[in-house]
Amino acid sequence: MRVEYINPFVETAYSVLAEVLKGDVRRGDLYLKSTSTPVMGVAALVGLAGDVEGRVLFDMSLETAMKIASTMNNEELKEFDDLAKATITELANIITAQAVTKLQDLGFRFDVTPPALFTGEKMEISNHDVEALIVPMITEQGKIEVNVAIREKA
Amino acid sequence: MKTKQDFPSINERPPEGLKGDGSNIRVLVVDDSMFVAKQLGQILTSEGYEIIATAADGAEGVEKYKELSPNVDIVTMDITMPKLDGISALEQIMAFDKNARVVMVSALGKEDLVKKSLLLGAKNYIVKPLDRKKVLERILSAIK
Repeated sequence: MRVEYINPFVETAYSVLAEVLKGDVRRGDLYLKSTSTPVMGVAALVGLAGDVEGRVLFDMSLETAMKIASTMNNEELKEFDDLAKATITELANIITAQAVTKLQDLGFRFDVTPPALFTGEKMEISNHDVEALIVPMITEQGKIEVNVAIREKA
Repeated sequence: MKTKQDFPSINERPPEGLKGDGSNIRVLVVDDSMFVAKQLGQILTSEGYEIIATAADGAEGVEKYKELSPNVDIVTMDITMPKLDGISALEQIMAFDKNARVVMVSALGKEDLVKKSLLLGAKNYIVKPLDRKKVLERILSAIK
């Protein structure tokens, strides 16, 4: 997978997280996974289809998702309810929309699906024939992994 | 005894959400995200606007606009929504009421759709993530 696919997602995730969480954000080391990847507990998934195809996953623990949703709502949410889910989904939506604009400016043409939110324990995601590049983003609320698996359409 | 609170200074600006006659500006919020609808509601009500209704998709938005008209002063309209998207909902509202004031709400990256909506009659647009100051500025400019 070409690294230029992931850069817009990482740059945008960094700037959007810093803006909506109003705190420090650090970027961890990028790593590659060619097999199944465990999902931490809450994952917002966006599909891509066009010149390139694949998916982007914003993956975090339930505790981190709760803290992020609480920060974005300016109130302490007690459970991962519809409002908390809508908040994490919207976060993924904003990051993806900005990243896709950057990729389209580079000449790639594709559409994205609305984010789908998955929650649960012991989940994993498998990618057939495509490696996933993963960049951890460390926020004051916890770690979010930006997990991108994209390939050019044959 | 009357206090300062009972008689605000004539030099103080009224809250932005008040009309010239002192009544509230009534807003219909159309957004499928509970989070965005809540954020918009908090920002606008804190400035004196009244959220007269909310709708979770474009079809419900059009239905509520028609039902509540002429008591809707301004509509905030998300672009990407299920059932009926914001652009189609805007077209239907403008066909029903050519004087409707609709402000589009969009994530950055939907510039083409924002341009299209402005050509169709939207008065302004707001980009997500929502910034309180920008939301108020753009709503106010759409009302004037």
